[in-house]
Amino acid sequence: MKLLPVIYLVYMFVSIYFLSLFLFLYFNNRKRLFDCPTTNKKYTISVLVPAWNEEKTIKETIEHIFQIDYPIKELVVLNDGSTDRTREIVEELQKKYPKLKLINKKNTGKGDSLNKGIEIAKGELVVVVDADSYPDKDSFKKLVGFFDDEKVGAATGVFVPRNANKFIEKMQVIEYNVIAFTRKLLGYVDAIYVTPGPLAMYRKSALEKVGGFDKNNLTEDIEITWRLTYAGYERRMCLSTNATTTVPDNIKAWYRQRRRWNVGGLQCISKYKKNFLKKGMLGMFILPFFVLQLFLGALGLGIFLYLVVTRVISNFLFVNYSISVGIPVITSNSLFITPSFLNYIGLILFFVGLVFTLLVLSIMKDTVLKKQNVFNILFYSIIYLALYPFIMISAVYNYFKREKKWR
Amino acid sequence: MIGNQKRIFLYALIVTLIVFNLGIFFGYMLEISRTNNINTLYVDAEMELLDQMTQKDALGILNLDCSILVSENINFGDRIFNEALQIQKYEDANRITGEIVLQHKRFDLLRAIFWINSIKIKQQCKSNYHDIVYFYKYNNPPLEQESKQKFFSNLLVQVKQDKADKVMLIPMAADNNISSIDLFVKKYNITQLPTILIDENIKITDVKTIDDIEKYLV
Repeated sequence: MKLLPVIYLVYMFVSIYFLSLFLFLYFNNRKRLFDCPTTNKKYTISVLVPAWNEEKTIKETIEHIFQIDYPIKELVVLNDGSTDRTREIVEELQKKYPKLKLINKKNTGKGDSLNKGIEIAKGELVVVVDADSYPDKDSFKKLVGFFDDEKVGAATGVFVPRNANKFIEKMQVIEYNVIAFTRKLLGYVDAIYVTPGPLAMYRKSALEKVGGFDKNNLTEDIEITWRLTYAGYERRMCLSTNATTTVPDNIKAWYRQRRRWNVGGLQCISKYKKNFLKKGMLGMFILPFFVLQLFLGALGLGIFLYLVVTRVISNFLFVNYSISVGIPVITSNSLFITPSFLNYIGLILFFVGLVFTLLVLSIMKDTVLKKQNVFNILFYSIIYLALYPFIMISAVYNYFKREKKWR
Repeated sequence: MIGNQKRIFLYALIVTLIVFNLGIFFGYMLEISRTNNINTLYVDAEMELLDQMTQKDALGILNLDCSILVSENINFGDRIFNEALQIQKYEDANRITGEIVLQHKRFDLLRAIFWINSIKIKQQCKSNYHDIVYFYKYNNPPLEQESKQKFFSNLLVQVKQDKADKVMLIPMAADNNISSIDLFVKKYNITQLPTILIDENIKITDVKTIDDIEKYLV
């Protein structure tokens, strides 16, 4: 057998495996997907909001947090050297909200800001909320129950785009819902690999034990999750509470955000590479999962580009020859292609993947999903997902150049 | 709870192995079925060629009508040319089994026999149809050569359409390690692929216009 079919078969094997895994997890847990444990225990909560030039959103975020139906001990805004009106807005809001604290500091990055927040936080639990995110009223109540289990170090909810009018935003609505759903499923096997910035609740003692956030990592939310996993803490996810967040509304911002995520992921892989295939979910699943994504993405893109380039050159030469002599470029014979069995399997896998996406979208309760149409879902499945490897390659390039362009 | 669910990794692996192997089995069966189709075509073609050869041998003895034999010979040539295109498509789509390559060799050999037979018929019947033998590279042709061969193949189909009753097209892989074809390659000094050989005499390796070929087919 030639090399290319072997590579295709490897892709198919991996795809079938993950589809099977997710389907098993779904059917095993479908009746309690939206269940979140309740508790009678009253936890003290400190909310940390890292902010850098967030004048457009910080006010609404703070007001949102103070409307949450769970008492908080304090809300600490960590102003990371903003050059806009963030500081003034927060100071103004302090008159209205006595529990609102403001820490002004030099611009040292999100991870470092959060570490400052952990130092001063008085709550047993620390909630991180991005300055452009808006947790649901019931979000803290839904998450605290997880912490009755001493092994749990972090919990998160669903975060979905707040703005969902433009096409690119609608794509992210689908994407975020699929990610949230699969993250929930991975939670059943203790394989949650990120507790995202828009809404993440941590046990403060756990954060202290692992030394807080990595101030040099571009995706401190992924890194802290891996660090907690490495330290033996479990992560949980509640599917029945949301935080809405502002998502990029243009290609450039979208691309830069994704590239930052990927560079952060690479930093995490590099940092924890010694644990690869070692005992524990980090070494046995999360790291291989990330590495496999990277490897297959890069390889797939390489093969795709090779095939496209050779096909383009070949067709260009063929058309050139044909036109110069004046014979038809397209013949009846060339219109009929004979599919290989790999084509059939690929098609079946695509449809199973599509059905899985539709299943996820039908299960998730986000109302903006109703605005999606067949074209959007097909575009997401065929084009949008195919863009991932391109971003990954760009991220690898950036990673090796040690560029940290995340703002 | 989580400990129990971790078994799902194993279950997923088992299901994957089953589904994957079923897929491979399905693919194998599909390719075997296509190879069998080619084999059936080959057996039919072989029988027809034997029939042609018998008719040719019987010409002198039974005083048969040459025009019928020539016409049948041309029709048979068309048929095995179309079958060559079909085999080409199956080959492009075959991923697991290698048997179709063997079938290709058998067809190449059959076409070689057909060519010899055709030369003899032409001599015996003093017919004025033309043999066009198309020598091409079968094993991993470089990109440019592949494009040129695709172009030559289309060009010859066009020639065939223009001169239907006067032309017999015989495609032949020149690099498939078949001794008899290697002999032809040596005999006609085919040093460059693709090459079009018209009436065992004229070699064409570059074409500027379709007339570069059709001018020899009057």
